Amino acid sequence: MSEWIIQTKDLCKSYRGRLAVDHVNLNIARGEIYGFLGPNGAGKTTTIRMLLGLIKPTRGSVEIFGKSLKREKLHILRKIGSLVEYPSYYGHLTAVENLEAIRRILDVPKTRIAQVLETVGLTKDAKRPVKGFSLGMKQRLGIAAALLGEPEMLILDEPTNGLDPSGILEIRELIKAMPKQHGITVLVSSHLLSEVEQMASTVGIIRQGRMVFQDTIESLRRQSEGSISVAVSEPEEALLALLRMGFRGKLENGRIALERTDDQSVARIVKALVEQNHAVYRVEEKRKSLEELFLQIVGEGGGA
Amino acid sequence: MRSFLRLLSAERLKLAKSRFRWLLPASPLLAAVVGLLSNPPAGAPPRVEFAVVLSGMSFLHAMLLLPILTGILASVVCRYEHAGGGWKLLLSMPVTRPQLYAAKYALIALHLAAVQALFGALAAAVFYVRGFEGPLPWDMLLQSAAGGWIASLPLAALQLGVSLAWSSFAAPLAVNVVFTLPNILIVNSADVGPYYPWAQPLLAMVPRDGETFGALGLPLESLTVTVLGSFIVFLAGGLLYFQRKDI
Ligand SMILES: Nc1ncnc2c1ncn2[C@@H]1O[C@H](COP(=O)(O)OP(=O)(O)O)[C@@H](O)[C@H]1O
Ligand SMILES: [Mg+2]
Repeated sequence: MSEWIIQTKDLCKSYRGRLAVDHVNLNIARGEIYGFLGPNGAGKTTTIRMLLGLIKPTRGSVEIFGKSLKREKLHILRKIGSLVEYPSYYGHLTAVENLEAIRRILDVPKTRIAQVLETVGLTKDAKRPVKGFSLGMKQRLGIAAALLGEPEMLILDEPTNGLDPSGILEIRELIKAMPKQHGITVLVSSHLLSEVEQMASTVGIIRQGRMVFQDTIESLRRQSEGSISVAVSEPEEALLALLRMGFRGKLENGRIALERTDDQSVARIVKALVEQNHAVYRVEEKRKSLEELFLQIVGEGGGA
Repeated sequence: MRSFLRLLSAERLKLAKSRFRWLLPASPLLAAVVGLLSNPPAGAPPRVEFAVVLSGMSFLHAMLLLPILTGILASVVCRYEHAGGGWKLLLSMPVTRPQLYAAKYALIALHLAAVQALFGALAAAVFYVRGFEGPLPWDMLLQSAAGGWIASLPLAALQLGVSLAWSSFAAPLAVNVVFTLPNILIVNSADVGPYYPWAQPLLAMVPRDGETFGALGLPLESLTVTVLGSFIVFLAGGLLYFQRKDI
């Protein structure tokens, strides 16, 4: 039995012959916060809409809680709370009335309304019509609505989009508390790594409809670990010598850039260069920031 | 069934807070004014005289205002979802699309029933206020009010389909008006009238023992076929569309 709460197999969605989502295999484990990353137009929202049954996949399958979404949709949706793209709300109703309309459908006790309003910090605005709410408040109301049915899984599509830094911080703290305090698994999408980096335990990176990375955030960090940059008197010759010794690297701005290398290897490199009478001016470790790595991953292959 | 009733109660909450509700009594009230002011031919038996008054009341109401109100109601029940992104909210909850469609349709039908009940009640009031002799012709009133309701149900199905498809509030209403206005000509035609869905509310509401001209006073059977046929086509079309729609 798989431990995945969400598992998609070769999920595809094409619009006018173009694949907006291209053979995506999502694997989301119980209790984690899964950061679903990708630049605008990468296919995050389209994937999420397929997870919620709002659109039908062109190909592939979705399993949630170990059950086929196609066959047990209502059963699955009962245990999922979601917020897709921008918050949905009824502007002419107050926050409480908005939640009451949803409560009637989900059939949960009335007391849940006060609880979720408390959770998202909207208690004192509960009786105001939602059309007067700021975007951040609407966003929090959307999360309150998603939490109303006591879901096991929360799917939030760019919940911090358009918010100011303090709003972003509030939502982030809210999301971080979900697995710990309520045992809820979270899928949160974003086009900025920095927004999910501090809360996600696993990240999936999607680019032009394709998953290009899916692993723990530690593994992503490890990949971002530095390259070694060596400045020498005759870079071409020196690089050739190093390549002949089996190291991997290339010339960058007249310096030798070597891929992730441990201490022993650096020692061997310096020794070899000195022995072959190269003057070694500088040996530097260049650390890519996680953001740079992310941009490199989503930028690979050109295009968007 | 339980989830349908829960959906219906959620839909009712949204509409209860809507200011469009105040449009509902307008047409029956206008019809009542017509009923109070009209001049039935003197000397006819009271039942026939009242039938003429009721015809007069039905004209503006059933020929134009009831079909248009049907379109407005259909737009209103979809309006809040279109405006606030409510479709993805509703459809990512554990409800099926046919259930949601049925709840919205039922809400339109219930409001139309309320309008027709008010029409019937006001027609009875006209009967007493104007002092017609004899017992209130219950059968005639009931047939008129209920007939108008049933004949507007296919239009409600079509308009719900159009309103689901178009996120604009005004576009479905324009479609509705475009199909309703020709009524003015079509009800005079015994050839086209019986088959034109938008003309059916009037044909159903004008009392059978009143005047007969054009398509008015035709046998109920032909109207039933048109109403039932268009109901099935419009409802199935709307539902099939909604079932496939990308949200
Ligand atoms: N209904 C649609 N019709 C045509 N193309 C669409 C539709 N929805 C999304 N797309 C395309 O699919 C791609 C992915 O979009 P989306 O999933 O919204 O990206 P993201 O949420 O990652 O920003 C985009 O190129 C977008 O233009
Ligand atoms: Mg998106």
